[in-house]
Amino acid sequence: MGEASTESLGSTTADAASTARRKARPRHHWVVRLTHWVNVIALGLMITSGLRIFNAYPKFARRGETFCCYPFEGTPLPDWVTFGGWLAGGRNWHFAAMWLLFANGLVYLTFIYLHGEWRDLAPRRGDVRDMWEMIKFYVFVRRDHPHQGKHNALQKATYFSMPILGALAVITGLAIWKPVQLAPLTNALGGFVWARYWHFLVMVALVVLSVVHVIMVFAVDPYSLRSMITGGYDPTTSPEVRNARPFFWRRAVPVTPSTDVGGQQ
Amino acid sequence: MNRRHFLAATAGSIVTATVSACNSYGPGGAKSLLRYAERKNEQVERWLFRSGSRNRVAADARLSGRAFPRYFISERMPVWSEAERGVWRLEVGGAVKTPLSLTLDDLTRMPSVSQRVDHFCVEGWTARAEWTGVRVSHLARLAGATPDAQYVDFQSFDSDYHESWDMESAMHPQTIIAYGMDRRMLGPGHGAPARVHSPVKLGYKSTKYLTRVLFMPTRNGGYWSDRGYEWYAGV
Repeated sequence: MGEASTESLGSTTADAASTARRKARPRHHWVVRLTHWVNVIALGLMITSGLRIFNAYPKFARRGETFCCYPFEGTPLPDWVTFGGWLAGGRNWHFAAMWLLFANGLVYLTFIYLHGEWRDLAPRRGDVRDMWEMIKFYVFVRRDHPHQGKHNALQKATYFSMPILGALAVITGLAIWKPVQLAPLTNALGGFVWARYWHFLVMVALVVLSVVHVIMVFAVDPYSLRSMITGGYDPTTSPEVRNARPFFWRRAVPVTPSTDVGGQQ
Repeated sequence: MNRRHFLAATAGSIVTATVSACNSYGPGGAKSLLRYAERKNEQVERWLFRSGSRNRVAADARLSGRAFPRYFISERMPVWSEAERGVWRLEVGGAVKTPLSLTLDDLTRMPSVSQRVDHFCVEGWTARAEWTGVRVSHLARLAGATPDAQYVDFQSFDSDYHESWDMESAMHPQTIIAYGMDRRMLGPGHGAPARVHSPVKLGYKSTKYLTRVLFMPTRNGGYWSDRGYEWYAGV
């Protein structure tokens, strides 16, 4: 429901239109952009220092027991995914960066709650169907990009999951940090061994979503990178307009009134 | 230089500076920041600490038995030699009214507790055993620890191994001077004749091969605490 009517748009010159675009509200509020990049640092430190700690005992089984559910028991992860240099270093970084991650998450969630941005991410009825349509579009079963709001249904589900996974990381982390002082929490998660496993799985989920997110930024919508740094975004370059699939999209072209004219058939 | 170039140059220099300042240990300047975080974390951990907290292991839970790791810092396993050093005694001293000097017999005649608890190692593993011994709080009462006693240093004959504790954690009912493990007398692999054991601290705080319990007005660091590991190390 934009304020700008077609009338006023039609009456402006191309120059004025681009000035208007530049002065338009940024796609992401500066608080969202700042917390996004702080989160990149905090999450990066937490994951790499956490893997350094994990490598000190790269399995889950209690001494004298076996663990059912981790196929790589005893295999350390390569050093290049770890940070902190040694166990104490990894721990010191982990227990310092956790406050950065926690505070940053709190600022982000408080902001999107007060400022209304949560509406772009909250799940709605029909999201599952929309996700399915996006998948069909991405695998060339569907020809046209599904209609979307600020984000497509797959993005929405991802961005909605990230803070939830973050909260789970904090809760499972508390359970293995203080298994005696917070024994009820640790017991609710199945005891120390299982809580440590959940903490690990939450990390895996965060890594998978982050890696897919970064790949999709470059493969589908590189224009969004600018929108997360300066806030600037040209709606005519949106994936919906460009009918963009991963690795299959055109450079944005200036808007033309109709794209129906063309030599197909 | 337009804005785009400026942004690119800024981003480039930040990345370069970060990469060159970091080895896998992190930038050297972060050390004081990490120490600051450790001090703040200690306040949070002390705030979370409850003397009523308990680590409970189900009565039918499997114990680690022979899979319980043995560990010491000396080149060879420390074994108390009566021929060389005379009868082993546990000295309880420092900020106390009546210092004690206890033989193993004295210890085993005291009121004892047996507890099946978890052992939390800093490396991330846990092990279970049944420990038998005397509560540190009992020794503190017996020796008459003064209000000056804010910390306790647990010293050993395993080279210079020792670790100091805050008084509250040492007085926790599950913090004991253990002389028995899994219903046998403690073996030399696990710190014989006696050691500290507690589920409220990470394993490295539980000094083995114990010789001395020293109540102190100030903290006294510790073997691993002086080497970069967290001093408080509460669980």
